[in-house]
Parts: sequence; structure tokens; C-alpha cells
Amino acid sequence: MKVAIVTGASKGIGKACALRLARDGFTVVVNYSSSDEAAAETLDLIKAEGGDGMVYKANVADLAQVKAMVRDVFKAYGRIDVLVNNAGIVRDQYLLEINPETMDKCIDLNVKGYIYCAQTVGLKMFKQKSGVIINMSSVSSKFALPGQCVYSATKGAVNSLTQTLAKELGGWGIRVNAIAPGFIATDMIDAIPQETRDGYLKNIPLKRFGSPEDVANMVSALASDQFSYVTGQVFVLDGGLSL
Amino acid sequence: MANEEVKSKLKAFFMSDLGVDGDVLNYDTPLFGEEIGLDSVDSLEIISFVDSNFGVSMTGVGKEPFQSIDTIADFIESHK
Repeated sequence: MKVAIVTGASKGIGKACALRLARDGFTVVVNYSSSDEAAAETLDLIKAEGGDGMVYKANVADLAQVKAMVRDVFKAYGRIDVLVNNAGIVRDQYLLEINPETMDKCIDLNVKGYIYCAQTVGLKMFKQKSGVIINMSSVSSKFALPGQCVYSATKGAVNSLTQTLAKELGGWGIRVNAIAPGFIATDMIDAIPQETRDGYLKNIPLKRFGSPEDVANMVSALASDQFSYVTGQVFVLDGGLSL
Repeated sequence: MANEEVKSKLKAFFMSDLGVDGDVLNYDTPLFGEEIGLDSVDSLEIISFVDSNFGVSMTGVGKEPFQSIDTIADFIESHK
């Protein structure tokens, strides 16, 4: 049995990743911070397809909660093979609108949360001498989008920490990679006015938004042994937007 | 587990897993000094060993407790 933790797995990209990893045979821990019903639904879908797992409520920006989650998961399953660091927030603000509270929230969740999970899960993987950590970055880390100064900075940090952790942990068989999705068709995109969405589409060579499943497919590949020689990389998944 | 037993177990780990020469490794020998020459990567092995064998987390505790077998044993003792 292989075990995967997906943070922020109650909705959107995280949910798709959880479902895909379950289909790949992983026992999946559906981490979430607030949406009890949505998380339960994700687990129900996993179980309906014959998979297994658990939901676990924990705010990954809080180290104590991360430690408790990893301890309980390890107690339940005895190993952790894959960590998908996905939980994050976007709070678009132009430079003069940025306030310290919003900035702290973004940094706490998008950067500190990733490190807390990597550190805590990494210790378990370290003992196993194997493991895969996949960090969800964003095309915003490579392609400047006005209003995303803080968000893009946090995702740039994700790219940097991905490379650093790949070097630190490679010697123990732990691979660390990142995926940088572009516009992905989630609730967030659905909420944008059609006119604005059409404007975005004009700049995407593949003329469509990505789907959460597109991201999940990449997660599945990176978690598999087929990518056993790949570490420290940031894979841009944006339909060509950043070209 | 008595403090002496913890130290003995730690010393055995340093010798078997990190290849330290037992003849030069006393309980107060600096682990990261020239004599023993462990590096920061070795500290990961120490953290893992302590977590597995004593149930004590040493992640994020700084460098101070890693100075010698004595200081690691003291840390374990005070965090059980």
C-alpha cells in the first residue's frame, strides 16, 4: 500500500489530484482546512471508485496542526509516499492595495505551509529512504500578471524551495518537483466575467483553460516511478500562456 | 531509559550509521568540529534516529542540542 497526502484536497486542483492518485492505487489523505462537506465528498468519490483514504482537517500554515496530521496519518498507515503541497490562496492586489494582513496570509499558507508539510512529511520519507514531494506553484512565478505581486512572489519562493529541497533530500531517494499551472478551469475561473475570460483565452495558444485533471495527470506522472530520475524541476502547465 | 543508556545507544548509532570512529568519540566530543567532522546533512540522520528511537522531535530546534552526545541526550531527557 502506498500513501499520499494531498493538501487542500476538498476542491479544484487538489480534489482532482486526490482522485487521480486514488485511481493510481494510493491510499489518499484528503487534507482540508474549512470545507468539511466538500472534503467528505472527495473521499466519498474516492471510495465509490474502490479507493481508500481519510479526510483530515488541518490548517497547514500551523506547524502544530501539520505535525498532528502527519503523526496521525503515520499511525494509521505506517508510511507516507507522496506529499502534494497544494493548499494555497490567491489574493490579487495591486501594489498600492497590498495590506500586511493579506500578505501575511499568503506567505503563511503558500510558503510556510509548504515548508512545514515538507519538513514533517520529509522526516517520515527520510526514514523510508524514498518519497515524492510535489509542490503546486503557478505560472505567475514565471509570467508577470499585474495584481499578483505577493502571489507571484510566494510561487517564486515555491520554485526556489523545490530546487533546494531536491538537493537536500535527493541523497535519501526523495524527489521534489513543482508544477506551475496557468489558468485552470476551477470555481475561481468560473466566477470571472465571460468577457474577461475571453481576453485570457486569446493569450493561450491552446485556446482553452486547463482542467484540474490536466494538473492531476502531471501529479500522477511525477509521483510514479516513470519519473524516478526527475527532481528539482518546475513543470509549466499553461497551454503555452507563458511563451 | 536511563541517560547513560541513551548515550550508549547514540554512540552506537554514530559508529554504525555515520561511520564515526568509536575510539575518538566520547560523550562530550564536539560532533561537528574537526575531530569528528559531521556536517549539516548528518544532522538529518540524527533527527531521524532520535525521532524513531526516542520519540523526540528535533526538527527546528537549532544547532545547540547537536553539539555532542551529552547535549543530544540532555535534549532527549528534557523532551520526553
